[in-house]
Amino acid sequence: MSVDSVIELSGVTQRYGDLVALQGLDLQVNAGEFISIVGSSGCGKSTLLRLIAGLMPLSEGELRVNDKPVEGPGEDVGIAFQTSALLPWRNVEQNIALQLEIRKLPRARFEHELRRLIDLVGLKGFENHKPYELSGGMQQRVALCRALIHDPSLLLMDEPFGALDAMTREQLNLELQRIWMETGKTVVLITHSITEAVFLADRVVVLTARPGQIAEVVDVPVSRPRRFSGLSAPAFQQACDRVRSLMNAPGLD
Amino acid sequence: MKTMVYPLITFVLFVVGWYAVSILFEVPPYLLPRPEAVAERIYQDFAFLCHHALVTTYESLGGFFLSIVLGIPLALLITSSSILEKAIMPWLVLSQTFPKVALAPLIIVWFGLGMGPKIVITFLVAFFPVVISSIVGLRSMEREMVELAASMRATRLQVFWKFRLPLALPSIFSGIKVSVAFSIVGAVIAEWVGASEGLGYLLLSANANLDTTLLFSVLAFLTVIGVVLYYAIEYLEALLIPWHATIRLKETTSL
Repeated sequence: MSVDSVIELSGVTQRYGDLVALQGLDLQVNAGEFISIVGSSGCGKSTLLRLIAGLMPLSEGELRVNDKPVEGPGEDVGIAFQTSALLPWRNVEQNIALQLEIRKLPRARFEHELRRLIDLVGLKGFENHKPYELSGGMQQRVALCRALIHDPSLLLMDEPFGALDAMTREQLNLELQRIWMETGKTVVLITHSITEAVFLADRVVVLTARPGQIAEVVDVPVSRPRRFSGLSAPAFQQACDRVRSLMNAPGLD
Repeated sequence: MKTMVYPLITFVLFVVGWYAVSILFEVPPYLLPRPEAVAERIYQDFAFLCHHALVTTYESLGGFFLSIVLGIPLALLITSSSILEKAIMPWLVLSQTFPKVALAPLIIVWFGLGMGPKIVITFLVAFFPVVISSIVGLRSMEREMVELAASMRATRLQVFWKFRLPLALPSIFSGIKVSVAFSIVGAVIAEWVGASEGLGYLLLSANANLDTTLLFSVLAFLTVIGVVLYYAIEYLEALLIPWHATIRLKETTSL
């Protein structure tokens, strides 16, 4: 096992009664790596993310984050979900600061970081807006800031851009790449978009359906920063084709 | 104030219709008094009516507050433990299929004719909507919100105060609004069973004397009390949960 691996899975199996959701997963995620997990719906990719986050108990195998067995939600983890899950009575700033309040972290110490994050995702001037005054893309940006405000080394994302239109989605993909490059955090992104997975990730983990097993881990040897205009490059195309064929969706190419 | 125009038009049409019916069909005044006769009666007996209205208002508010003070904690208990839910819920539902009004005579026998038993009867009529809507509200926290709170390592108390309770407020308020309307019904019923004052008592005695103008005056007072209490709750709701869609959308449509 490598010294700087942040997440280590060995023989991870998850059951719900008789149903086997995940079976025999072995994977190592290195510090600062961007990993995408793709698979058809129902393959257990969300379950995998929740296991890593410590949101549900593991039925079998070993799962370590930062060299410690996962026994519940950690201090060094931030999560963004499919819905923004913002509290409607709190404005942008208060929603981001919720993470600090709940974890009892001193707001003053993170004030600078709060300003920086709001600036980084282009929410400057919207600090006092309530969620219902924001577009879907902006709401997800707030959720992203909330996941990052306590400066976790590991960022987990469960299809955070799934409900957004294509334009906003690409924009947020670029922003996420920039944030990742600036902060050097380890990111695990669950998605059902092959393009999104390949565009962002160093490695794409492809899961098979029922039970979820790792079909293959596909490398994406493309330098950073990546652009959407470069998606036709051979390295991108090869990775996309490989992921697509693994997902057994020939009609898509 | 533009929002007041439409209900006022409805009111005028109602009074015109009232006139039309009493003139066209030549309804005798002891069945349907003319609007001006009722207005005159209210003017003449204003202090008298106000005294009785005050009694009924006290009883309604007493039962209403009791509904909130006991109903919301009961909902908390039920949502906090599945054992308690299984033990209490079926009885709570059963208590609602049972005609609570039928208990009123018994309560009068047990507790006498004072204000207290009236408040108890009002409470019995009004508390159920508060309990049910509070239960629904306290359960309305969605899965990802629960997971978000867990991922932040929120304690049970933090989850309750920062997530669950505020998220439940819109639903709790819808129950409270039903409850406040029920509480007036409860107070009137309680007075019918045995009372020496209050609008319910006045209704019965006016009925016995075929004093229809008084009967209509009492109905007018009951309506005013109901409307005032209801809108007081709506005002409080707008203050407490201005972020909720029902309140935001109301503001935009009334522009």
